[in-house]
Amino acid sequence: MNDNEILIEVKDLHKSFDKHEVLKGISTTISKGEVIAIIGPSGCGKSTFLRSLNLLEVPTSGTITFEGNDITDPKINIDKMRERIGMVFQQFNLFPNMTIKENIMLAPVQLGKMTKEEASKKADELLLRVGLPDKSNSYPDMLSGGQKQRIAIARSLAMNPDVMLFDEPTSALDPEMVGEVLSLMKELAADGMTMVVVTHEMGFAREVANRVLFIHEGIIAEDSTPEEIFTNPKSERLKDFLSKVL
Amino acid sequence: MRAKNKKYFALAAFILVAIVVAVTAFVKLKGNNKEEKTISSVEDLAGSTIGVQLGTTADIYVADEYEGDDAGTNVVRYNKGTDAIQALLQSKIDCVMIDEQPAKAYTAKNSSLSILDEAFTEEEYAFAISKDNSSLTASINLALEELKADGTITSIINNYIGSEDEIGQTPYVKQDVSRENGKLVVATNATFPPYEYYENNSIVGIDIDIMQAVCDKLGYELVIEDMEFDSIITSIRTGKADVGAAGLTVTEDRQKNVDFTSSYTTAKQVVIVKSSDSDSSLSLSEKLYQNFIENGRYNYLLTGLRNTLIITFFALIIGIVLGSLLAIVRTTHDRNGGLTILNFFAKLYLTIIRGTPTMVQLLIIYYVVFSSVNVSKIVVAIIAFGLNSAAYVAEVVRSGIMSVDQGQFEAGRSLGLPYNKTMRLIILPQAFKNILPALGNEMITLLKETSISGYIGLMDLTKGSDIIRSVTYEALLPLTAVAIIYLLLVTILSALVSKLERSLRKNER
Repeated sequence: MNDNEILIEVKDLHKSFDKHEVLKGISTTISKGEVIAIIGPSGCGKSTFLRSLNLLEVPTSGTITFEGNDITDPKINIDKMRERIGMVFQQFNLFPNMTIKENIMLAPVQLGKMTKEEASKKADELLLRVGLPDKSNSYPDMLSGGQKQRIAIARSLAMNPDVMLFDEPTSALDPEMVGEVLSLMKELAADGMTMVVVTHEMGFAREVANRVLFIHEGIIAEDSTPEEIFTNPKSERLKDFLSKVL
Repeated sequence: MRAKNKKYFALAAFILVAIVVAVTAFVKLKGNNKEEKTISSVEDLAGSTIGVQLGTTADIYVADEYEGDDAGTNVVRYNKGTDAIQALLQSKIDCVMIDEQPAKAYTAKNSSLSILDEAFTEEEYAFAISKDNSSLTASINLALEELKADGTITSIINNYIGSEDEIGQTPYVKQDVSRENGKLVVATNATFPPYEYYENNSIVGIDIDIMQAVCDKLGYELVIEDMEFDSIITSIRTGKADVGAAGLTVTEDRQKNVDFTSSYTTAKQVVIVKSSDSDSSLSLSEKLYQNFIENGRYNYLLTGLRNTLIITFFALIIGIVLGSLLAIVRTTHDRNGGLTILNFFAKLYLTIIRGTPTMVQLLIIYYVVFSSVNVSKIVVAIIAFGLNSAAYVAEVVRSGIMSVDQGQFEAGRSLGLPYNKTMRLIILPQAFKNILPALGNEMITLLKETSISGYIGLMDLTKGSDIIRSVTYEALLPLTAVAIIYLLLVTILSALVSKLERSLRKNER
């Protein structure tokens, strides 16, 4: 984590929906191996920011550079970029028409990254890693929320991404299932995965992240270590926010 | 079919038959007190209800002489002469005005009908040919001259309506000549005995034999196209047929649209009335025999069924493929923008197809789009119903695509899958499952809608029963039979769709 290779560079990012401006100029860099937690009140633009990083939201202005490529350039092959940016959603978004294993194997096989055999082997490994080797032939609707999210993480990992984006990964879970997902994410962080996590889990942000971004009204209001953010908040807005969530 | 479905079908069929029988009986009981006007001479025509075949000389005559008069004469127009006769038998009308020879054929089969002694003026029958094709008119005229001179025409006519010892004695025999001039397409309406009618599953009659003799003389291969009477002139004008041979009387109005050959025979208009109320004395089993077994009449239903299934099957494939493409264009445009021009045409297409009746579309495709091309009618029907169905399928598929959660799309794209793969591998399979009931519904609608194929003279299931009806003058049995066949087809289709639905749902909790 001491290597400082820059993976993503965001410059003056703006995003408006019709006339409503959600992001009002965000600039930051994300280095390899960083685990970044993004916190902030609802509607502050933290999810929009995260979704801009793989262009699920197309910025109104500003640039995002991923591994040296400007992904906001319309001429770039965004699919190639997305292959290396994993994403995990609040609502899991597993494909209900496929088995768990098919969910995991789909992208690597369809995009020519692996043969069926390789992908199958990889899927078995990942299922073991997320602790669900017996669910291989189940369908998503047969799993609990926590299990679904662990599979969604495995599906993302199957593409061997360089960075993983998590959009409130535990917000749709029953409280007793939050732990299993967070501990899996903790393991990923420990293995050196670069992660950007939009979260309401202040405990996770404090314990696992090595950097926290507090977004308020479309800008990064504070950007510091977890320690600094949680024990020594500078702005009134952050103090106010923390007093509500802690 | 599973046992449960069988039970449902049997119940539904039973209810259908029960309703038909109950309503028929009720109407028969109630209906007899209707005042019937007895017609014993031409003077009684004024103020009566006269049935005619649409577009015939009788139609023109009664429209000029009687319709809208002070006596309140009513004219009812039927697509077929036999429909008019059926209506007369059921006392829906007071009399039928029609050409003498068909009138004789009808009354010979129905003892309760008789022809009034008085006849109207003589008129001349001739063949109709496009005004653009005067060379054909000239050569057919020449052939007719020769056939008159050598007695062929007289012997053909006598074979059908000569004296008792002449009938059936001199059938025209198709000659073995070279037919290097290709096909001669002859349009007719085979409900007009003895000029043209169905016998043993083929069209026969005086007009047909004369046209065969003409073709033998001129080296053509005769192709008969059976269609509605009022479509004959149109199909000659649009080039769908070369010659109209349907007991056509030469009238001024018709001469404005087509040329006529020289006349090959004369005819008179007569009036048929119902002389007694003697209901047909056939028992039910005799009627069943007469309608379905005699002369292999069930073959009309079998051929019709086969055509209905062929049309439905292929139209369904066109509908689903084209409809899905349209839906993808529409949703892609709505989601990502782009495809503006394609989307415009897709929307235009949906508006036109959904905004006009299927029957009009079928007629336009047959008479306008394919007017000068020689395509089989089945192909025309498949294309027409396929294009029609596509518009409805498109909206169904579009609603299916919209019903799939946007997150599915984002999940696919965020893995690096391109738009088309995301659509094909993730969205469409889920959309398909969601819309299966609606698609099943569309299939059922399509199957039943093909029953209008008869309008382009195609023998589908409904048309098959029409032909039986035109020969046996019996409505209840042929119509009930096709109703039950359609019901059976729809029941099977529904069962298949729900089976597929169940197997797709097994993935879910």
